[in-house]
Amino acid sequence: MIGIEVAAATIRLTVPLLLAALGEMWVQRAGLINVSIEGAMLIGAFAGVAVSHLTESALLGLVAALVASTFFCLLFGLFTIRLRVNPILVGTALNLIALGLTGFLYRSLFGATGRTMIVPPLRSLAPESLRELPVAGPLLFDHTPLVPLAFVLVPVMAYILYETRTGLMVRAAGENPEALEAAGLSVNSVRFQAVLVEGVLAGAAGAYLSLAHAHTFIEGMTAGRGFLALAIVFSARCIPLRVLAISLLFGSTLAVQFQLQASGTSVPHQLIHMLPYVLTLVVLACFGRPSGRETWKLGS
Amino acid sequence: MIRLITVLAVAMLILLTASSHADEKPHPGKDLSVALLSPGPISDAGWNASGYEGLLAIEKELKASISQVETKTPAEFEESFRTFGDRGYRVIFGHGFEFQDTAEELREEFPNTIFVITNGQEVFGDNVVPLKLYLEEPSYLCGVLAGMLSRTGVAGCVGGMDFPAIRWCFSGFRDGFLSVRPKGKVLEAFINSWEDVGAAREAAMAQIAQGADFLIHNADAASTGVFLAARETRSRKVYAFGTNKDQNHVMPQTILASAVLDIPKAMLGLAREVAAGQFKPRAVTLTLKTGTASLVINPELAYVIPPAVMKKVEEASEAIRAGKLRFPSVKR
Repeated sequence: MIGIEVAAATIRLTVPLLLAALGEMWVQRAGLINVSIEGAMLIGAFAGVAVSHLTESALLGLVAALVASTFFCLLFGLFTIRLRVNPILVGTALNLIALGLTGFLYRSLFGATGRTMIVPPLRSLAPESLRELPVAGPLLFDHTPLVPLAFVLVPVMAYILYETRTGLMVRAAGENPEALEAAGLSVNSVRFQAVLVEGVLAGAAGAYLSLAHAHTFIEGMTAGRGFLALAIVFSARCIPLRVLAISLLFGSTLAVQFQLQASGTSVPHQLIHMLPYVLTLVVLACFGRPSGRETWKLGS
Repeated sequence: MIRLITVLAVAMLILLTASSHADEKPHPGKDLSVALLSPGPISDAGWNASGYEGLLAIEKELKASISQVETKTPAEFEESFRTFGDRGYRVIFGHGFEFQDTAEELREEFPNTIFVITNGQEVFGDNVVPLKLYLEEPSYLCGVLAGMLSRTGVAGCVGGMDFPAIRWCFSGFRDGFLSVRPKGKVLEAFINSWEDVGAAREAAMAQIAQGADFLIHNADAASTGVFLAARETRSRKVYAFGTNKDQNHVMPQTILASAVLDIPKAMLGLAREVAAGQFKPRAVTLTLKTGTASLVINPELAYVIPPAVMKKVEEASEAIRAGKLRFPSVKR
């Protein structure tokens, strides 16, 4: 029973990381690095809850999350691609703006001391009978559609990346932008499109956090998951299957961490909390070695 | 053109962002200026909200000029204390145990400023005073309620960060629970954040999977995750307790009662003394005995509590007021 609980928790904790990491992977493949993915998730999380609250429709909330986060990422694109500002600088500034802006809007919409807005959430589309199944229910059916979507995106994005013209262009923008220009294509427009893709995925990740998991918005609720997604992409060296594997690794350590604490173990929780981060270091040490070919170049 | 538009857009965003932080200048012509440093967003409908409500009450009742900032790290604590101290703020509330050390370090530099540490422990000199919160007292009563009503004999506590003050609340709850359920089990988890509502939900769900059917929290904004985990459990009925502020309305079908501290009233009382020039450095205590701490039962769920259980809770409450009850695991 506990095993199933851990597996279900792993899925819930993996999905937002996976969605965000896939978006970041796409952008890094196209030769950019966006550290404001944390901010984009937060913007998505807020927009989702605000619109779901105002319209009483979680679906409209989801759409709003995707749109808002995409606009936010466009801002990133505008600065880094059009204005050639250092992407780390832009990303950091945007993270701060996202935290302040969502807090400001939340307080002006819902009052300063908060009423804890519980909004209509995204729920599973599966019928009650399937969700109540003993093992398959919590593992397969008791999830919002964003969950299967996240996992299906892995092979789909891998296919696009390696097998299609679009993917070739994205990779060329990152690995050999001169060749792309020589072929008469615009590096800037390829990168802009990649940023749009990231915006949608980060928005979905944020919407999952707020609309599917928390049913509310809390200022700063992304709590560093965007940075965890960055770590995943770095450790996975932008390879889709590895992004999935490392996301699952993080998701499962987080799940185990909560279960360990609940089991009343005598291990101090400070040590248990270190688990995912120690793991990051271990994974980086194992897979983070630079190969002959970097998958992304900064500001090229 | 694009450059101009983006620059304008960003300038607007920054202005919006900046305006979300309160104005830091004391307004001229007002005698009393009061600032509040909160460790998390004041929109949490709990701990931070109660501090902000106290600040608003001071503004309203005493016509004081007020200011509030959100600070996370000790470096920010110091910077904010200094900013307000330099500007001559008369009273600065550090809303949490974690502000005590910084206030003590700075107190000699700003002798005209009174530092009030909510959940602080000691008086330092004549300008650092604590609001001592005996949250373990109403938490004990929550524990008694849970111990009497639990079907599984297991209860859970979900905390934000691991501070002594958070532990006191949980230890009080544990003592209450075990006083009526000696063979029961009380689980504890910390999520290392005050905002990670997802982590709070997962921590609570893990405790529920271990059999918990009553949950108490001390996790500020993240507490919604605990309430939600209780509400969304289908296999059995799980109840939760609110803390610090009356949170019964947050999820009226799930929150059985709240362990409430009347922090706004204590803040206002102190500020009133300062305004009247009658301030004397001393610890202000919030306890059941003085009526500044209390257990508030959610009226919508009152039917869940049989009269015999309520009687037991009232007996415990009487014993605490009379100072006859010991808290074996609260280590102050």
